[in-house]
Parts: sequence; structure tokens; C-alpha cells
Amino acid sequence: MHRLRRLRLLIVKDLRRKARAPLGLIVVLAFPLLFAGMIGLVFGSKGESIPKVRLLVENLDGDTFLSRGLVSALTSTQMADYFDVKVVHDEGAALMEKGEASALLVVPRGFSSDLLAGRPLSLALVRNPAEGILPEIAEQSARMLVEVLDGGARVLRGPLDDLRPFIGENRPVITDESVAAISVAVHHAFDGASTFLTPPVITLADAFVTRAPDETGKKNADSVSNIFLFVLPGVAVYALFLVGDQGMRDLLTEAAAGTLRRQMAGPVDAGAIVVAKAAFTAILAAIAAVLLALVGALAGGAGVSVVGFVLLSLALIVAVTGASAAIYGLARNERQGATLASLVYLILGFAGGSFIPLQNLPPSVRVFSTISPFYWATQGYRLLLTSDAGAAAILPNAGVLAAIGVVLLAVGARGLGRAVRRGAGA
Amino acid sequence: MFKVEKLGKRYGEIRAVDDISFEVRKGELYGLLGPNGAGKTTTMSMLSGLLRPDEGRILFDGIDLAADPIRVKARLGVVPQETALYENLSARENLRFWGGLYGLAGAALDRAVDRVLEQVGLAGRAKDAVRAYSGGMKRRLNLGLGLVHSPQAVLMDEPTVGIDPQARLNILEVVKNVVASGATVLYTTHYLEEAETLCDRIGIMDHGRILAEGTLEELKRRVGKKEILTVRGSFDAEAAKARLTGTAGVLSITAEPGRLTLSVDGAGRAAVDLLSGILSSGMQVEGVSIQPPSLSSLFLDLTGRELRD
Repeated sequence: MHRLRRLRLLIVKDLRRKARAPLGLIVVLAFPLLFAGMIGLVFGSKGESIPKVRLLVENLDGDTFLSRGLVSALTSTQMADYFDVKVVHDEGAALMEKGEASALLVVPRGFSSDLLAGRPLSLALVRNPAEGILPEIAEQSARMLVEVLDGGARVLRGPLDDLRPFIGENRPVITDESVAAISVAVHHAFDGASTFLTPPVITLADAFVTRAPDETGKKNADSVSNIFLFVLPGVAVYALFLVGDQGMRDLLTEAAAGTLRRQMAGPVDAGAIVVAKAAFTAILAAIAAVLLALVGALAGGAGVSVVGFVLLSLALIVAVTGASAAIYGLARNERQGATLASLVYLILGFAGGSFIPLQNLPPSVRVFSTISPFYWATQGYRLLLTSDAGAAAILPNAGVLAAIGVVLLAVGARGLGRAVRRGAGA
Repeated sequence: MFKVEKLGKRYGEIRAVDDISFEVRKGELYGLLGPNGAGKTTTMSMLSGLLRPDEGRILFDGIDLAADPIRVKARLGVVPQETALYENLSARENLRFWGGLYGLAGAALDRAVDRVLEQVGLAGRAKDAVRAYSGGMKRRLNLGLGLVHSPQAVLMDEPTVGIDPQARLNILEVVKNVVASGATVLYTTHYLEEAETLCDRIGIMDHGRILAEGTLEELKRRVGKKEILTVRGSFDAEAAKARLTGTAGVLSITAEPGRLTLSVDGAGRAAVDLLSGILSSGMQVEGVSIQPPSLSSLFLDLTGRELRD
């Protein structure tokens, strides 16, 4: 009974101290909101679709086979999800001057014939300097297009040579035998290059995809592309680990201030002090999780599974507490612990996809993603926020997080016990 | 109340506390007097259960501290040398926390907090955050935190270090009141006058050992009629020491730049004769003082060096 009362006293004392000096906590909690907010503002604020890249295409090659194909590809339905493509003639430069597009792609005269003949050619892209990210997307997409065309021209060199006599003026009538021969040649060319062509090297498919369209109409269609909700989980998870860091770091702050030594001179054992500090850390993380959840709900994530969210958050709190216990159990002093925590969390955050989508990470980094608690937490929250996933879908994530947390807590508890005795001068 | 038997603590090759034994009786104020590095704080750390002794044992009211530390700690109050406070809490909140940790609750806790606030003169600032306090106020609160649960014995480790004379007088007054209320106090200091005016019994400590122990009168008797003759001026102290060593009546000499301290048998005319000799030797003397038999002369006699702030 006395032990429980002392634990409560120790925890309340820490919460009261944190309430009197909340700046550190506020800064850490403001970080994910500012970060996600800024990204959201760049790509479209709450509830709005991702802005499309307004791309002008000026085809100087006229009505030729390949340039028409290229323009058709750019104006296809798939591309329409990301690009608002307008085919222009001579007015492209003038429209760019007026700032009415993110970029202008110029298909040069002789594009088809040069490509068929295997002669070097270049596509020109004019960026709108007044815009930041959208022209960059246009440029990266154009580069990808050039890679595809270049690769295709090399792979299909033979069939293209066979096809050339049938394109352009004074072309002979193409016979069924010629079509069959070219088809067979194309087939052989793809077969030969299949090792390099499949799976596709680059895809654009999910670069900014958030939520699949909801046909039932249960959820707000606007939130499908809510960038804020897409970015928030990763940085919020990172922020929760930093909150946990503040909680456990307080043990070494108390050691430096002499209050830990004073506690140990009283009728309290090291175990009670460690348990109280871990509980304080968990409560701090829980408060932070609730605040971030409220912001997420206000931003349009109100329709998520509450049970799933609570389960995942509880597991994350265990992981946060365990990670901070392990780090401060190893550290010799406050500064060393803070440095170690920053480094470890930054690495795990990157590897776990908290800041950059996993598919954009190098494969060598992705190998380590699944050992990062950030991965399981971020993916779990994204699952809840960007699809209709219920509690069952995030159970593996919650399970792994809880297991990581328990193991780290067990490891950290021993070290923290030593840290308490060391801090007390024992 | 405290019985310390053959206590020892070693840090590598250094024996911080070397086989010390002493007893603190119920209701008395026992002082451990010694310079910095004498082993006082290490001894206090072992007595408060923060440090495990390498040798010996500590009994508190018959209970072995090593066997039942929590039981002993619950009856002890500890006042550390450095202030150990929660700076962003108020004095009242600090006192309530520490009182609660020692098992006080409800009205008893409220009464204890009010009593200590009055005792240390902080009742008027009880609600202010500690970070806004002066150094002296923090020291007083630091003392108060060790008293809030009315402990049977209080360990005070140099509670007056680094504070102004007014705050020091205030703290010494509180210490006297604590003893008057029946508590036992073990008090460490390197201030001679504190030990002389405050303590019922004194243990003189240096290099981890207790060199002498007793009441002030007992210790003074041990000094006998030795006087301390201090000569200051512009002279080669080492050369003067060499010249005066072996002079009749001189018991020991300490030489420092511009300062010569001599322990002299004050029973005869030794001090006067010695002084005449020094003045006529050509040494450029700027000041001379003669101290009557005191703890200072005993410390010099025991250690061959002076105990100074």
C-alpha cells in the first residue's frame, strides 16, 4: 500500500513539474503538426485533392505516329490523376509567361523520324520558376519518360527498323505478313529484354496516393488525398518517441540536480524510482498521443477505427517507454543519453518510413525497416487513416510494437536501476 | 543512536574512510570536523544508506543499516551539502512531496509543512517557485526538507557552505532548535567556530580517519597550553622554517609563501622569546598573531597543517 502511494507521489510530482515547464513538450508536439501542416499546405490543405501538375505539351512534330502516341500517353486517363495536360501549338511560351502552367514540354520537329532512325534527340522542358514543387514533379516525370523512350528505342531497334518503311510519305501498303513479322520481332525483342524490363524499374503509381476512393460514400471523399493525414502519422510517431525521451531523461536530470540522491536517502528503493519514471514516461506519451489524435480527428481522420487506434497507441506507448528506458539505461549522463536518443530515433525514423515513404527509400535501407518500431507504428496509423482498416488489420503492428517495447523495457530496467544507484552515489 | 564500527570505504587505491569507529548518543549534536577531502561526506553517504561500506557496519538504534535500510531511512532525515530541490515547484509543494514520501498524509502532512515553513522562515514565500529564491532561502528549504517528517536523527552535511553570514546564523538557529526538540544530529563542517559553538561532541577527521574525539573541553585539555603563533610578511618561509626548526618550545612549523605558522608550548616564555628572535633576525615581518589553545591548535598539532575555510 505504502509502495503504491509512493509510486503515485513520484508520478504526480513529475507530472506537476512537467506542467510547470511545458515548453519542451509543446515544442516536440508542435513539430509533427507544423511539419505535416507545411506539407499539407504545399500540396493542398485539409480535405482538398492534391493539386495536379498543369503541363502544356507543344507538339512541333505535327501529326506523326510516335509524337501522337506520346501526346496520347500524356493525356491518358491514368495520367489525368496527376497531370492536367493541355496540348498547345504556338501559344505555349505565352501561357508560361502568364504563369498558367507548371511546365511546358516541347516535342521537337522530327521526333518520330529521329527516334525511328536511332538518331539522338531531345525533349525540351520549360519550368515555371514561380512554383516550387509541381515543376519539379513535371521534370522528374519527363526524365522518366525519356528513360522509357530511350530504353524502348534500344530494345525495339530491330522492329522499329522494320516498321520505318511503312511510316511517312510514299509508304507502301502494309501487308498481313509484314504486320505478323513485325509483331513476332517485337515479341522476341521483349522476350530478350524481359530480364531488364520486368518488374518495372520506376513507377509513378503511388507517389502521392493516400486513400482509395470510397464508393460507399461513408467517408468524406475529400479526405482521400489528404496529405496532412498521410504525413502526420510518421512525424507524430517520431514526436511520441521524443516525448518519451523527455520523460526518461528526467531520471538523469534528477541525478544531476541531486534530487535522485535525496530520494534514495529516503525510504524508497531504486526499483520504485525506475517504475515511477517509466510510468511517468508512458503517461506523458499517452497525453501526447491523445493531443495528436485530436488534431488528426479535426483534420479529417474522424472516421478511423477507435478500437484499432487505441490498441495501436497503447502498443506504441509501451514501445516508446521501452526504447527510452533502454537508451537511458545505457547512458552515463543526461547529455550522452540525449545524443544517443536523437541519433537512434533519427535512424530508426528514416528506416521506418516516418519521414520518407518506404518505396522511396533505397533497398539497402528498406531491408532494416521492419526492425524499426517506427515502421510498425507509422504503417499501422497510415492503414487506419488511409483505408477502412479496422482493429484486426493493425493487430500485427500492435503486437510487434508491444513485443519490442516489453523486450526493451526488460533490457532498460537493469540499466536504469544501475543509473539510479550511480546517480545516488552508490 | 548511531554506532559506527570499523567503517571503511576505498576508491581504487585511495582509502576515503579508513577504519573509523564512533558513537552518536540519543539527543546529542555530534560534529565531524575536518578539511575538504577528509572523508566526511563519504562517511555521511554511508550513514544515509547511499553508499555501501567496504568494511565495518552501522547500527541505528540497534538496527543494522545494511540489513534493513528502508526501515532505518524512514527514521532518518538527510540534509545534503548541495541543495537538492525541485526548482519549478513551490516550497510548500516540495515539502508536501518529501513529507508524503516519508509516509505523512492529510492533516498531519499539512501541519508538518506549516511547522517547517515557520521553522525555516519561508512561510511568507511558501507559494513561490523555488527558482525565484535567493541562495540562502534555498539553503533553508534544503534544511527544511530533511526535517518535515520529524525524524529521530538528522544527518547534516555542511549545511552552511557558501552562504552569507545572516543565512548561516538562521540555519544554525534551526539546527539548535532541532536538537532542543529531542532529535539527534550528526553534523559535518570545516568551520571551527561552528563545531565549537554548536556541537556537544566533536570528532576531528582527516585523511579518512578520526584523529581525536570528545567534547570541546576534552579536546582543549588535550591541546594543553599549546599556542599558535602566525607570522606574515615578505620572507622566504622555507628558509625561516629551516632556521627555526629545533628551537626550544617550538612543537611544529608550517611554511607557506609569506606565512609561517608555529605550534608553540605556551607554558613558558617560549612564544615571546621566539618572537623576539624572529624580529631580530632581519625577516621582513608585516604582522604577528598569537592564538590561545583551541581546536585550531589541536588540528595543527594532530595533522601538521592548519584547518582553514
